[in-house]
Order: sequence, then structure tokens, then C-alpha cells
Amino acid sequence: MSLREVFESQPDRRYVMFGGKGGLGKTTLSATSAFWLASQGKRVLLFSVDPQASLSDIFQRDIFGKGPVPIMENLWAQEVDADRRIREYQEEIRKKILDMYGFDQVPAEIDNYISAASAEPAMEESAIFDAVVDIVVQGDYDYYIYDLVPLGHALYYLSMAKVYDEWINKITRLREDMRQYDQVAATMRREQTVEQDRILAELTYIKERINASSRILTDKKRTAFFFVVVPEEMIILDTKKAAELFARFDVPLSGYIVNRVLPPELDRDGIPTYLKNRIGMQRKYLDVIRALFGSDIKSYVPEMERDVTGLPMIERLARRLFEA
Amino acid sequence: MADETKPTKRGGLVGVFRDIVYGMASHEMTRHAVKTRASMEHLFILITMGDLLGIPILPPYYSLRLLPHVTPQIAGWKRRMLRERDVTDILG
Repeated sequence: MSLREVFESQPDRRYVMFGGKGGLGKTTLSATSAFWLASQGKRVLLFSVDPQASLSDIFQRDIFGKGPVPIMENLWAQEVDADRRIREYQEEIRKKILDMYGFDQVPAEIDNYISAASAEPAMEESAIFDAVVDIVVQGDYDYYIYDLVPLGHALYYLSMAKVYDEWINKITRLREDMRQYDQVAATMRREQTVEQDRILAELTYIKERINASSRILTDKKRTAFFFVVVPEEMIILDTKKAAELFARFDVPLSGYIVNRVLPPELDRDGIPTYLKNRIGMQRKYLDVIRALFGSDIKSYVPEMERDVTGLPMIERLARRLFEA
Repeated sequence: MADETKPTKRGGLVGVFRDIVYGMASHEMTRHAVKTRASMEHLFILITMGDLLGIPILPPYYSLRLLPHVTPQIAGWKRRMLRERDVTDILG
């Protein structure tokens, strides 16, 4: 089944993610798929949360932190600025504290905590997680294409959904128990029932967001996850390992895309030994890939003669990928 | 209070007696409920705001979301968590 058939046979599919090690062409392939789907009349949002995002580079426009930017008809691209999001969020929290208690300024201790929490690496990860939830739950587009950060992050991201979910369940239960004690005390003292627990409401909100995102990630009908691989030994081994880990998180793996394949017509008599060796090496690893992934391979993408940047080049690649 | 203890009629006396017994029992239970609730409150803040004591526990993005709601309790909680234990703890 080709990449085109994969999309056409799954009309309910809305979320498409590309994973793989850094530098294998995830951005190129996600931009190409987004371009093709948009040219088929679908409304597509292509987004990235990578701080070194390359959507700006591939479309040759600065879209970093600017929200969904229209690229062409039916196609929008978005690069999330996690740092700015964290700064705005901190301000929001400070403002909420001032509003809730009528303080003139946030108590120093609390303020220090807000600053310190934001300096942790975990802050960025969880802010990114939340940003992605924001994007995917809105439902304005036919397709959401997620140019995923390298594999380690992707796995961390997936495992986070699970850990968050369990953690939130635990403290929600604790909060509910607390509410019961509140009610017991209120009844004994013959007071009116206690006011609505706002913390419980916040926890429920957080829980729903996390559940929504893990539901999307593991929904076989709506979500497709593609691994990008190139014919090189290390990459193949890493991809295999990552695929096993992803399976453990119930991520529906839709297939592999083999990128950077040297065109076979290059292999002629009289070519330099260097090129001949490269072609020989690729042929060997292509066999390995075929043996490992078999019919899960959805496409072989040729190594282009120049960088894939700008719409005309993306269009060329899209034609080769989806219409050849 | 004075009204309640004044023995007016038979039923009233039993009623007062019942009130006193009920009041004594429920007061103890109320106290217990409030105390348990307070311990749980501290546990709750510990597992959501543990970073304040240097114990990283929660994805910080979401712990900040809860921070405004527990701001008034933070000082008391830190005092309780960080104080040295003494003989009154055994009694308490």
C-alpha cells in the first residue's frame, strides 16, 4: 500500500505524525504530506514544537511563535514558541494570585517558586505538551500534521501522557476524599454544604486535557504515526528499538518511509568509486530494511539533487511521493 | 445554652440529654474530620507543590495552575513540613 492509498483508505484520519532521529527528513516529509493533502482540498495544519523548528526554513518564511500562518490555500503552518508560552503563563498565574486575594504584589516566596519552576527543563516539556493539546483539541482542520521532535522527546512525550494520567487520578481521588471530610464536618456543625472545590475543578480540567491527548495519540482510526528511516545501519537499529517502545505505549504505527535513497539510475559503469560504494552500502541496508519492515514500508523517497526548501521543491517531492 | 439546660418538661429533658450526648460525640467526630482534612491538605500541597521544599514531584506546568488556589496555605504548610519534631507531637 502506497502512502497515497494509506491516506485515501483512512478518511477518518486526522492526526499524522512523523518520527525518527534528527536530520532524517521528518520536516521535509511532513511538509510534503501537508502540501499534498492541502492540494487535495483538505484543510491542513502543519505544526512543530521543536525550539529549533525548521518549518520556517522549509517554507522560507519566519513563522516562529506567530500562531497558524497561511502558507498556501488550505495549508497553515505553526511553530510553537515554548519560551514565550511559559513567560505568558507565569504572568497569568501571578495575575490570578493578585486577583484572587487582592494583593498588591505576589508574596516573595510564591514569586520565587514561580520563577524557579519555570527554569526547570521539565517546565518546557510540560508546557510543550500543553501547547500540543491546545492545538489538537480545537478541531478546526481536516488534518493535523505534527512534525515531531526527535525520538527521545517523542517517547518522553508519550510516556508523560501516561504518567500524568495516573498522577492526576491519584490526587483527584485524594481531593475527593478531602471534600468528603469537609462535608462531614459541615454536616456535624449543621452548616450549609461546603462551597465548590475549585482545586478539584482545576484537576478535572487538567485530567480531561491529558486524557484527550492520550486518546488522540492511541486512536488507530484517527491517528497515523510514520517512522522515517534511511538506509544506514545505526538508523535502522535505532528505529527498530523505538518502534518497539512505541508499541508499548499503544501508538498505532502506520508504516515506515525510507528517505534519502540514492537513485538507482546513478549506478552505471565509470562512476567514481566513492559513489559506487555508497550505492552498494545503501543496497545492502535497503535489503535489511525490507526484511525487517516488509509491507509496512509505505514509500521510498529519492535523495534530491538539492535541499527541499520552498514550495516549488516541496511540490516536486509531493508529486514523486504521492503520484508516482 | 441556658435555655437548653433548663428542665422544662420530661420530653425536653430527654431531648437535652440526647443533644448533649450527640453534641459530645459529634464534636469529637467533627474535630477528627477537620484534623484529618488538614493532614490531607498538607499531603495534597506536598504532592502538588513539593518543589517548594526542593522535592520535585509534579509536571511544573500543571502545578503552577494549582498554585493560586493554595497560596494562603503555603506558609503554614512549609512550617509544618519543615519544623523539628518535639514532645508535643506525641501528644498531638
